[in-house]
Amino acid sequence: MKNTSRRSFLRNGFLLGAGTLLGAPALRGAYAADAATLTLYNGQHAKTTQKLVEAFTQATGIRVEIRKGSSTQLANQIIEEGDRSPADVFYAEESPPVAALADKGLLAPLSKDTLGQVIPGYTAGDGTWIGVTARCRATVYNRDMVQESELPASVLDMATAAWKDRVGFVPTSGAFQEQLIAIKLLKGRDAALNWLKGLKQYGRIYNGNMAAMRAVERGEIATALVNNYYWYIMANEVGADKIRSGLHYAGPRDPGGLITVSAAGILKTARNRDAARKLLAFMVSQAGQEAIAGTVAEYPLRPGVKSPFDLKPFDTLNPPPVSPADLGDAADALALRREAGLA
Amino acid sequence: MAGAALAPVALVALPLLYVAVRAWQSGLSGIRDELFRARTAELLANTVILAFGVMVLAALIGLAVAWCVERSDLPGRHWWRVAAGLPLAVPAFVSSYAWSSLGLAFQNLGGAIFILALSTYPLVYLPVAAALRGADPGCEDVARSLGHGPWRTFVHALLPQLLPALGGGSLLVLTHMFAEFGALALLRVQTFTTAIFESYELQFDSASAALQSIVLMLLCIPAAWAEMRLRGRRRLARTGRGSARAARPVRLGHAATPILAAFGLLGLLSLGVPLATLAYWLAQGRSVGAGYEQIGPAIQGTLGLALSGAVLTSLLAIPLVLLSVRHRGRLAQLAERLPYIVHGLPGVVVALALVFLSIRLIPSLYQGLGVLLAAYAILFLPLAQSSLRASAELVPPQFEAVARSLGRRPFQVFVSVVLPTMAPGIGAALALMMLEIVRELTATLMLAPTGTVTLATEVWSYTADAEYAAAAPFAALLVLVSILPVWIFTRRMLHHRS
Repeated sequence: MKNTSRRSFLRNGFLLGAGTLLGAPALRGAYAADAATLTLYNGQHAKTTQKLVEAFTQATGIRVEIRKGSSTQLANQIIEEGDRSPADVFYAEESPPVAALADKGLLAPLSKDTLGQVIPGYTAGDGTWIGVTARCRATVYNRDMVQESELPASVLDMATAAWKDRVGFVPTSGAFQEQLIAIKLLKGRDAALNWLKGLKQYGRIYNGNMAAMRAVERGEIATALVNNYYWYIMANEVGADKIRSGLHYAGPRDPGGLITVSAAGILKTARNRDAARKLLAFMVSQAGQEAIAGTVAEYPLRPGVKSPFDLKPFDTLNPPPVSPADLGDAADALALRREAGLA
Repeated sequence: MAGAALAPVALVALPLLYVAVRAWQSGLSGIRDELFRARTAELLANTVILAFGVMVLAALIGLAVAWCVERSDLPGRHWWRVAAGLPLAVPAFVSSYAWSSLGLAFQNLGGAIFILALSTYPLVYLPVAAALRGADPGCEDVARSLGHGPWRTFVHALLPQLLPALGGGSLLVLTHMFAEFGALALLRVQTFTTAIFESYELQFDSASAALQSIVLMLLCIPAAWAEMRLRGRRRLARTGRGSARAARPVRLGHAATPILAAFGLLGLLSLGVPLATLAYWLAQGRSVGAGYEQIGPAIQGTLGLALSGAVLTSLLAIPLVLLSVRHRGRLAQLAERLPYIVHGLPGVVVALALVFLSIRLIPSLYQGLGVLLAAYAILFLPLAQSSLRASAELVPPQFEAVARSLGRRPFQVFVSVVLPTMAPGIGAALALMMLEIVRELTATLMLAPTGTVTLATEVWSYTADAEYAAAAPFAALLVLVSILPVWIFTRRMLHHRS
């Protein structure tokens, strides 16, 4: 390459680079100009929140900017941001990340009126967060590999030699931590530890719930411990008539049928607290719950709102007596997994 | 020059500061407990086996491919030369998805090594091919005339000339693997990096993750040192190019057919399988068609971030590289090595470090583009450095001396003499940076202005909800957008020494 063309290459390159470097902050200015908007840190499914926010903006005229990420990473981000967090509202796929923020004193109390809109038992003890939708733990199984009648009533019986290489589990998923804490609360710490050790010895680790669900659907493994909605996602993706896996619910009051929730709270440092309160109230209103229910196979927590998905009726679930508030930030789950050699 | 090199060094030191602050919180006993757990040993073994396995396999494939396209009469080798670089355009999380769908056999350490070597071998192939072109066949002639056979000639006369390129490329793969995350999630392999991500995915206490990050950086120190040793104290600049003749291609004869078949198989494994998977997502899934309105903004976001990030990172890398080429003192070497050590840090640690520091020190810049571009620079500086280094070494100091003696000021000399001579390296660095930034996810999610969408964030968002058909167009665009930088990178790497 001749040096003249190299010089022109460099000149053009620099012009282009300088242009983008200078142009970028201007773009940023345009974003930041609108100060009346709410900032929502969203760990819930993108589509669900998008539908909710569209309905909210239409009803109130308040604009919402969504920052997406995984729930726990966003919670960690808010913790690192401290009292300067730009977030007004945090909406998480599970309750422990929101409970962790509450523990660190980062959330403002919600109004009694808002808290009273959902089925009792699915809000924070101190009223700093509220459950928005619920789902339950279940076992998915491949119909070609195992009969539903063979599946035990208790999830504790699946961590045994009889199920060697036939149970997939996701020790790194949020809902698994919650289930583990539920077992600890119901049956004692030793039972929880033994269950984990059994799973480690006889089960197969997957790194994601959907990966485990796909493995069951493909016949790679007979069963997997996941949330009920993964089955519905799979059914939606491959078609309900073609799906090869089934959904099995645990027996009455068994930790295998634990109910967990998606949850939301308002930051103490929120700059738009009034608007934030309106958003929270809208989330559990009839209109808000209907907007959410249409996009994901979870139970709306407001009494009287029905999911369009063909879910097992909420009042027939018979879950164990452990509420999301009892689970807290599920911090002990890590200590348990460490003791079992799973972390 | 030393002043200009301070900026990148200071930037790269930021995550170190953060890790130190966080690790300090767990106290000395915490540090001891964390480092001497059985699990740490297990993760260490997995990390080291994975990284070395991928490095060795990628080096073998890269070297073999480079030799065939540069030194043999392989049919269609001009075409293969460019095609062999293309697997770089496929993000590892796409290829690992593809392979993990094919069955359990690939979902383990062995499978991960195989899959990742297939997607990273171009990082070895390209510099080695460039070195092969620059190598003087005279050395081999001398070896043959002294009675060495072809194999001994290769090992004793050619290989030493290739060693800096081979070693540099291999070590790049090695440190890349220390920090790899996206691909491993689907392959059921657990390393330090997956453990660190897991900490931030499940916990609200960053101390033990900080400790694990320190172990990762310690692993990178020998790699950074080894690369420096490989380059040695040689000076490669020459004012005259001499009269090296072009090497005569080796006749493959009957071996041509099996080698062609091997090339075809390599293309099928490294490109065919992932691309077929994308096509399958599109054809089979029922979430197809969701999110088309985001395609425009995602392309715009991706290109904007990639261009500015590439320019900034390359600008920061130039003084570092020149400093270490011209001044071989301890301090200069340390400054140049530091980014390689920090390269072992997973994206999530770098991103959280910038969240923590920027919101406290300069809150007005938080979640602005500047901080995100700084994160890109910290993450990818070593890749820019290694692309620039070869060109920088070819600038003879005499040129600068002559220009100075003719009355030019130092900055004028830099702009009119040094930069143009380094242009091929700069082109390669820009292309490689764009390629990396286009697929970066973690820092982009945490630090980009709220509401920014890129192709990578959309792919993540849809695959997290298992809507693979909806993710497919974004993943395919990601591959398409990557092809241009790969093509530029391939051309720059292969032409600048001829």
